[in-house]
Amino acid sequence: MIGSILVLTATSGAGFLYGMEQQDYLEKLLYIRHIIYMLKGELEYTKAPLGEVFGQAAVRVREPYKGWLHGLERQVERRKEDEFFKIWMRSIDRDLHTLHLKSEHVIQLKELGSCLGRMDSTSESLHLKLYVERLELEIEKVRESLSAKKRIGNCLGVMGGIFLIVILI
Amino acid sequence: MKIHVAVFFFYPCKQNLINLCIFPKLIHILVKEVDKMNEERKQQQIYQILAGSIRKILERESLDFSRLQEIRLRVGKPLLVICENTERILSGEDGAPYLVTKEEIRETMDYISRYSLYAYETELRQGFLTIEGGHRIGVSGKVIVEGNKIKNMQYISSVNIRAAHEVIGCADPVMRYITKNREVCHTLIISPPCCGKTTLIRDMIRQISDGNAYVKGCTVGVVDERSELGGCYLGIAQNDIGMRTDILDCCPKAEGMILLIRSMAPRVLAIDEIGGEEEIRALEYAMHCGCKLIASVHGSDLEEISERPGVKELIEQRRFERYIVLDHEGKPGTVRGIYDERGIRLCGK
Repeated sequence: MIGSILVLTATSGAGFLYGMEQQDYLEKLLYIRHIIYMLKGELEYTKAPLGEVFGQAAVRVREPYKGWLHGLERQVERRKEDEFFKIWMRSIDRDLHTLHLKSEHVIQLKELGSCLGRMDSTSESLHLKLYVERLELEIEKVRESLSAKKRIGNCLGVMGGIFLIVILI
Repeated sequence: MKIHVAVFFFYPCKQNLINLCIFPKLIHILVKEVDKMNEERKQQQIYQILAGSIRKILERESLDFSRLQEIRLRVGKPLLVICENTERILSGEDGAPYLVTKEEIRETMDYISRYSLYAYETELRQGFLTIEGGHRIGVSGKVIVEGNKIKNMQYISSVNIRAAHEVIGCADPVMRYITKNREVCHTLIISPPCCGKTTLIRDMIRQISDGNAYVKGCTVGVVDERSELGGCYLGIAQNDIGMRTDILDCCPKAEGMILLIRSMAPRVLAIDEIGGEEEIRALEYAMHCGCKLIASVHGSDLEEISERPGVKELIEQRRFERYIVLDHEGKPGTVRGIYDERGIRLCGK
């Protein structure tokens, strides 16, 4: 009896965690959007170089984004790479791998760096806006599927537990 | 006891003698060290904006950065370096003149702008930007025009890196002539291009701001439309322009003068290269506000600029109390003559 309860609790917990992970993932995307909005605002208002923009944004965000933006700032100021895109790509791989973003979201984020710093301020701003719009679509998709995934996670957890108990008995 | 007293008095005297002998040497060593550090810093500032391949060539050539004036990069053309008015064509590893590529210009521009060309739109529109250390980068390429005005520049094909060179003390010979009762006179510097008028005006600003035997230190307002005087980087002057100086960087001269008078209450206003009618009006306004003016104008002598509209009226009304005429004979910054408001020569050839 105790074993059955334990198995059921464990599988239900796993299902619940799955739902939480989905929620967490949505929050990560929302936070990235918040950062991009912050960068866009800094860029439009101050028209400061990228290094400064990253530095300004870094002090207002939490880890691991803080480390990512500080790293970008340092790399830009060091001027060791012949292209900004390389710095951007490398920093995402190095500092944001802990977020475990889906490959399509990582690709989208990396693509953002391809045009940064190369155009006039209006185009830079539009480019950031375009990324935010694409990200919003992704957020919407994740949000739409979130409740269903949560429910499925919970149900599967309980059902899986029961199934396991039946098999074990 | 006597011996003790003698030692007591002799010791400090001997120490003073030693100090007297050692101090000039020490100062000399310190000055040398400071110069070396400045040169290293200058080298670092210039190297960090150059494309990797060009940096390697310059490192191989082991240039004397204290004498460096310009580095010129042009797409498909040889890499040129100008040191002490002497041009050198740098060669690649094969011994042939090194030809600069489009990619190297792009890479250099990326480093100059810190990967942020958009942040330097205003500067690019004027054809130059200033980097850390006050070094000026002139660029040329395809100009984007909108409504008869330059909007931006693209396809940059030439980059001219002009190393900043402050000449501390170059205004020493003129200071006594441009002051009266330890107050600055309204002064106009007349000089053809590349004769050192900006260098002279910069040192005048420094001396007026800090004060010296001829002038009491006072607040100086500088309107630096082209970042030539202060060589500002991120709003901070990279050149020594004195401790009581307030600088408006990249600001149109006419607006800047009025703004400074209202906000910073300067005793002396300094501007480089006046010419436009609006600037002349602002200059007159500043003179009526009790500010002393130090300005410069392109020209070869007093007679020539007396014919120029705008400046002509100022000269006729004897607004300026001193005129400093520079020329290029011998070396830049040679003072040909200093005149008073009536055109009487106070000093010079």
